[in-house]
Amino acid sequence: MGSVGFTLPWEHRISGAAPVRERRVEPSESRAETERLTADSSVDASVAAACLSGNLQGYEQLYRWQGSRMKNLARNLLGSPTDAEDAVQETFLKIQRSIASFRGQSSFVTWTFRILVNTCHDLRRSRVRRKDHASEDVESLQPANVPRARVSHPSLRMALERALEGLTSHQREVFLLYEVEGFRHAEIAGMLEISETASKNTLFQAKKNLRALLEPPRSAGAGSAQ
Amino acid sequence: MNIQCKDRERIFWDGTAEEWAALEQHAAMCAVCAEEIRAWKQLSAAAAELRDPQESPALWSRIEASLREQQNAAANRGKFSRYFDYWTRAAHVWQLALAGAMVVALAVSGAYLYTHRAPQTMDASNKLLKSHALAEVERTEREYMSAIDKLAVDAAPQLNADTPLMASYREKLVVLDGAIAELRAQAGENPSNAHLRYQLLAMYQEKQQTLQDILETKR
Repeated sequence: MGSVGFTLPWEHRISGAAPVRERRVEPSESRAETERLTADSSVDASVAAACLSGNLQGYEQLYRWQGSRMKNLARNLLGSPTDAEDAVQETFLKIQRSIASFRGQSSFVTWTFRILVNTCHDLRRSRVRRKDHASEDVESLQPANVPRARVSHPSLRMALERALEGLTSHQREVFLLYEVEGFRHAEIAGMLEISETASKNTLFQAKKNLRALLEPPRSAGAGSAQ
Repeated sequence: MNIQCKDRERIFWDGTAEEWAALEQHAAMCAVCAEEIRAWKQLSAAAAELRDPQESPALWSRIEASLREQQNAAANRGKFSRYFDYWTRAAHVWQLALAGAMVVALAVSGAYLYTHRAPQTMDASNKLLKSHALAEVERTEREYMSAIDKLAVDAAPQLNADTPLMASYREKLVVLDGAIAELRAQAGENPSNAHLRYQLLAMYQEKQQTLQDILETKR
């Protein structure tokens, strides 16, 4: 696993990628970020209340607000858009079944994504069992090469997807939640039921591993200078 | 703020805004750190490639249909379980009233059982009868022993006669005395053993009968 077939230097491969999201690299929250979080929390509360009342419109609001992010995360965790849609649907059903147990200890979105991540685990496990039962090659469990939306750097996406498979599932989840879906460490900690420090550690390790997987071997002296 | 290359990874892990600014300043003069920062940030930028803006127009309809179906199924289950749910949903005061009524019912039942303890009296009586029966047996044994002692005194002249018949009776009495002594010892260890008591009484009867037979020979 790794960047087989990608011999270009790391910088060259992503030099034309989307603009760097400085805000995620620097941990301080700007005024705009604070305002966004406040707005999010009021939407979160109103959607939670609508769902708690049993009104299906509440679930529709949740879907319109977070659906594409949910599907995207499930797609990156499961590797297949079909499985991702199944996971999102199952997540909504689980939310409806257990909405009465939502006590507001975390945000509704955090709670929702915790259910989604667990649903993806379950689907992945059941897929492994199915494949084991059918005595198929383990290689076939890797994400399917299915058509996806047009992207600016398809080769980079493929390289990243392959590199992500080289991470532990925990590192993959934290990386996707933080870097792709834009959640904060406090939110990720709530979703994965870990500490914020553990989330930071895992992201750090994930990025180090990804760099190692994506970059071609470098000269021995590089990076060791003080 | 003085930042060096060795601080880089710590800042990557959880640096403050000020530390990042200081690291950027340091990178302006350090090619290694500049490259590391660029690569680190570009990894975040590359992650954007994993966002899939592709819409799924039919997905919400599918989800909505399944939510509606689940809601209807739950409502149907609710009809059947409404009766059983009644008490769990009843007002707290009614639950307390029900608990109080059960306590009163238990107290009344207890009082009734306490004042109508006929079976218990019978049990106690049975126990007395048992002790009484034992006393009765022991009294009978004492009467046998007393009667046997009197018979033995009366039969002593015949029994001491030097005849083969009396020799035979003497041997029989020795055997009976031995058996009686052994049974008395066993009955002493376990006085309530009815079987031992019956055997002992039988031995006494046999000895009494033997002594009477000896006295009969005189006539």
